[in-house]
Amino acid sequence: MNTPTRCVALLVSMGLLGLFIAAPARGADPSDATLLQRGQYLATVGDCVACHTAPSGKPYAGGLKVPTPIGDIIATNITPSARAGIGRYTEQQFSDALRKGIRADGKHLYPAMPYTSYAQVTDADVHALYAYFMHGVAPVDSMPTPTRLPFPFNIRLSMAAWNLLFLDSKPFTPDPAKSAAWNRGAYLVRGLAHCSTCHTPRNLLMAEESSHELAGGAVGTWLAPNITSDANSGIGNWSEQDLVDYLKLGHALGKAQAAGPMAEAVDHSLQYLGSSDLRAIATYLKTLPAQHEPADTHAIDRWGAAFDGMADQRGTPLPDDANRWSGAQLYDAHCATCHQASGEGSFDGGLPPLFHNTATGRADADNLVLVILDGIRWTDASGVHMPAFADSLNDQQIATLASYLTQHYGNPAATVSAEQVRVLRAGGAPSHLVALARWAMVVVVLLILAIVILLIRRKQRRTSSGRP
Amino acid sequence: MSVQLSADIVVIGSGIVGALAARRLAQQGASVLILEAGPRLERARVLAAFRNSPIKGNWMAPYPPSRWAPHPIYVPKDNGYLKQAGPYPYPAEYIRAVGGTTWHWAAMAWRLVPNDVRIKSLYGVGVDWPLSYDELDPWYQEAEKLLGVAGADNTGSPRKQPFPMEPVAEPWSMRRFRERLAPAYPVVANTVARNSRGYDGRPACVGNNSCQPICPVNAQYLGINAVEAAEAAGAKVVPDAVVYRIEHEAKGRIAAVHYYSPDRAEHRVTGKTFILAANGIESPKLLLLSASDTYPTGLANSSGMVGRNLMDHPSTSLTFYADEELWLGRGPQSPSSINTLRDGPFRSQHAPYRLDFTNISQVLSVTSDLIKEGVYGAEFEKQLRWRAARQVSVKNVLEVLPNRDNRITLSSEKDAMGIPKPEAHYAIDDYTRRGAEVSKADFTRIAELMGGTGLRFSADGQYANNQHITGTMSMGNDPTTSVVDAFGRTHDHENLFICSTGVMPTAATMNSTLTAVALALRTAEHILPAKDAHATASHRGREGNLA
Amino acid sequence: MAQDRNDNVATCLASPTDLSRRRLLAGLLTAYTASLIPWALAQPAPHAYRGAFTALSAILVGRRALDAAQSSRLYNALAATHPHFPADVHALLVLISQRQIDPLNLQQVLDAEQSALAPLPRLIVTAWALGVVGSGEGARCVAYESALDAVIVADVLKPPTYAYGTYGSWTLKPR
Repeated sequence: MNTPTRCVALLVSMGLLGLFIAAPARGADPSDATLLQRGQYLATVGDCVACHTAPSGKPYAGGLKVPTPIGDIIATNITPSARAGIGRYTEQQFSDALRKGIRADGKHLYPAMPYTSYAQVTDADVHALYAYFMHGVAPVDSMPTPTRLPFPFNIRLSMAAWNLLFLDSKPFTPDPAKSAAWNRGAYLVRGLAHCSTCHTPRNLLMAEESSHELAGGAVGTWLAPNITSDANSGIGNWSEQDLVDYLKLGHALGKAQAAGPMAEAVDHSLQYLGSSDLRAIATYLKTLPAQHEPADTHAIDRWGAAFDGMADQRGTPLPDDANRWSGAQLYDAHCATCHQASGEGSFDGGLPPLFHNTATGRADADNLVLVILDGIRWTDASGVHMPAFADSLNDQQIATLASYLTQHYGNPAATVSAEQVRVLRAGGAPSHLVALARWAMVVVVLLILAIVILLIRRKQRRTSSGRP
Repeated sequence: MSVQLSADIVVIGSGIVGALAARRLAQQGASVLILEAGPRLERARVLAAFRNSPIKGNWMAPYPPSRWAPHPIYVPKDNGYLKQAGPYPYPAEYIRAVGGTTWHWAAMAWRLVPNDVRIKSLYGVGVDWPLSYDELDPWYQEAEKLLGVAGADNTGSPRKQPFPMEPVAEPWSMRRFRERLAPAYPVVANTVARNSRGYDGRPACVGNNSCQPICPVNAQYLGINAVEAAEAAGAKVVPDAVVYRIEHEAKGRIAAVHYYSPDRAEHRVTGKTFILAANGIESPKLLLLSASDTYPTGLANSSGMVGRNLMDHPSTSLTFYADEELWLGRGPQSPSSINTLRDGPFRSQHAPYRLDFTNISQVLSVTSDLIKEGVYGAEFEKQLRWRAARQVSVKNVLEVLPNRDNRITLSSEKDAMGIPKPEAHYAIDDYTRRGAEVSKADFTRIAELMGGTGLRFSADGQYANNQHITGTMSMGNDPTTSVVDAFGRTHDHENLFICSTGVMPTAATMNSTLTAVALALRTAEHILPAKDAHATASHRGREGNLA
Repeated sequence: MAQDRNDNVATCLASPTDLSRRRLLAGLLTAYTASLIPWALAQPAPHAYRGAFTALSAILVGRRALDAAQSSRLYNALAATHPHFPADVHALLVLISQRQIDPLNLQQVLDAEQSALAPLPRLIVTAWALGVVGSGEGARCVAYESALDAVIVADVLKPPTYAYGTYGSWTLKPR
């Protein structure tokens, strides 16, 4: 071969080689660190880890039981394990699972997987997420127990009908009339951050009521409050900084602290969001149409005042019987240490005051009882933010204490009974949805039977009367 | 009505030392019974009792003694339980209750320095320990992991692995000491059983400044945590069980212990192995009480050393006003020390010492002073703020040498259960006095460096007691001069072990708890070796996983 | 309780019998002591001795504003613990008024004269500043967080057993 030919050959092979290296493999280029990083960030925003990781389990290996009124839904393994996870998923299959609630085998997912929110995620973001889950997550080869809901909810096909009714499967389209920050916030809130999953009320068929966006919902026993722009019922008088602080740090000084499932959301997801994303979320939230609860005559973060319940009883010995301790005595022995003698909190506000605090200002004191029972404990190095009192206080004591707190530091209309505490401690009132659904089916079957019998009889009568 | 209890291992005393030994043995599969003379306590009640008590400087106020298991009380009036034979008083405070005395401590979790165990060979004073610092090292490490010790490497005790936690955040006041005393005196963070982050399901410190008498938030490791860990491992605690006699067989093996319940009914508990862990006063008391025809001077006492060589860490101090606002009272009570005066050739001449800077709020102290001085009117508030902002105090923690005449004996007086009270015979010798004298120069220099005024030295000849009850059942290789061997086994009774600060044959200069725990873990291992390497490192407490 | 504080002044002033009490109190105070506590005449004083106690307390602790409810509680506790307490308070206030004794010199003067009233100022200041009434085994805690020693430094310190703040917050300069 002469030199020019050799050069051409070399150039061609280099070109081919270059193509080979540069061409993205189907779906993702595993060596693209930026794409993986982006995917990891988006997975954090979507808080996939919160459901898809069991307590002290491997990341994304599934196994966590998500309790619902119709039974436990067990999160699946979404590591790239070929055997036990999504290792064999194509990007299209990944996208369908994420945005349509359809598994690779064609079966429907239950909306405990918030695909109704993730439906908003753009193709580019799905691409990054897919790259991350395929190449950025360690495969785990153990399969968690599959979900088995009681009849009739084990029929996944019913989800197809449900989706028809309630799934809006269009990805997010920006509103040109709004700012970039607003659009980014809307995209995050409605999409990956899936706030409405908890914070939007649901109808009887357990679908979100889109007309009441973020007007309040429930997560198990916890109230996911109204976060619309209403000044009394919602976050109307929160500044943008308050919202950013709450999402990043888990508290807004002088207003509120994240507890229960929201503390988990901040711990696993929101505290890692970039500041511009947090500000975007705040911007969007503050434009939500105000949804007002008539019962809220007063902003829920403005109730109460400093009050020292022990001032006139210092030196009084405690009753031997723990059930006879007064609210002030319970407060003194268990709460005042951090929240201070007059409920004023520490100098830096990090140990919060109990007045002007949504924890005591709601008419519904369930969350207050729950945070006393469970405390607040993050999984990162910050650990215990507030201790749990489930083991040191009985139902009567918690009722006395919680009533004392709402009386003096919060909304005095919110009283707490020992029975209420007992139910919350047990995980909430048992749901009748399964029984209801089964009865409903029996009724429907009976109705159909009745109609069929009626039709048959009518036909018989016609036949018998019409015969010559 | 007698209740027959029995277990493989019977532990007498549920303090931090006994409970952690019990835990380890229960983890190895033994059945373990812990007999505690006193009652169960509740943290919430202790906290409320302290806030309701009239003498806030009296840290024993929230721990009233029970009728059946009294412990010494001195304020407002001496309850006459610990008799003082003199010439110098030994007014130790301890708590007879489930969890023991470390309900109320400053969580100082110090190691010795290597030379501490060889002062006889090196300096010609005291005695040598029957083991080396190196032998203790892995047990210190395990103890530190169990307690959750926060510290840094610059405190003078060598180590092979890092501390479980970073040092606790330094209060402003201590930072100013550190900055202004350098380079003459290096001020270091104390190694403490206090959380500098979430650890073992317990929160980080939030600066309640009440470590003594109680940590309200469980950021500080207490004996009760050790008891809970022992119970989680399967040990059973019997409170209100006042052991009054250890029963032996003809050849000296321990067969059983006898205890009173509060109604003075008698109960007998049998076991295979017995561990005496009832602190450095109650343990020798019990050994002496258990005298029999075979052992007329008490059990484990063929050497005659039971109760002898009583030691402590006496303190003298200097209080003064710094020339800048420091505001003691922000953060934990005991954050910092000077450790460079603990060892050296001078130890052949005078006692070594640690220098301790208190961070206890001075408000109570200065307010009491103002009232005593009769300062009234507008000046009262002005002075209160000025003094509370500036008053600081430094104290020494002096070594005391073992002296056979310093000892615990049985008093002729009896307590409410008819059990002889303990009696302390104690004196401070010249070795310690010379150390105190030398330390005065350090006090003066420190005050100088802090622009100090209003210097008030503690009265000459007056030493504060630090309740580090050591020496009374010293360990040694020679059965004629010691009570237990290097593993805590009594020389006289093959199935009787002692886990206590009382087995330490010299006091050194550091608070004794961590050393006693390390020795106890080593004793437990000796009684029942760990089945595999993992068991040595495992320490699953109530929460399961360490954070 | 907060309500009490605000309402008391108004209701007391409105009462017709209050005028005679005010005159009684006025009799106890000279221009001198009144200058130390100019509000004393307006202070709710349903009982002359209580008024004297509040006035004397204000002089001793050097604070013009004392919580009425706390004053009442401390008065009750002190009166229950010490015989002749109300009369002694009255006498001491008269003494201070008549001889224009500076609070800073008060204890010295009483001690020098071996006055029977010498222990009284310490009793009162101990009650207000340390929240303690009685002594030795009879000592009782009547205040802790609201005792003046805590209140006076409340901008910098929390009383022992109360958390200073989140971990590490004590590393900062106090003020």
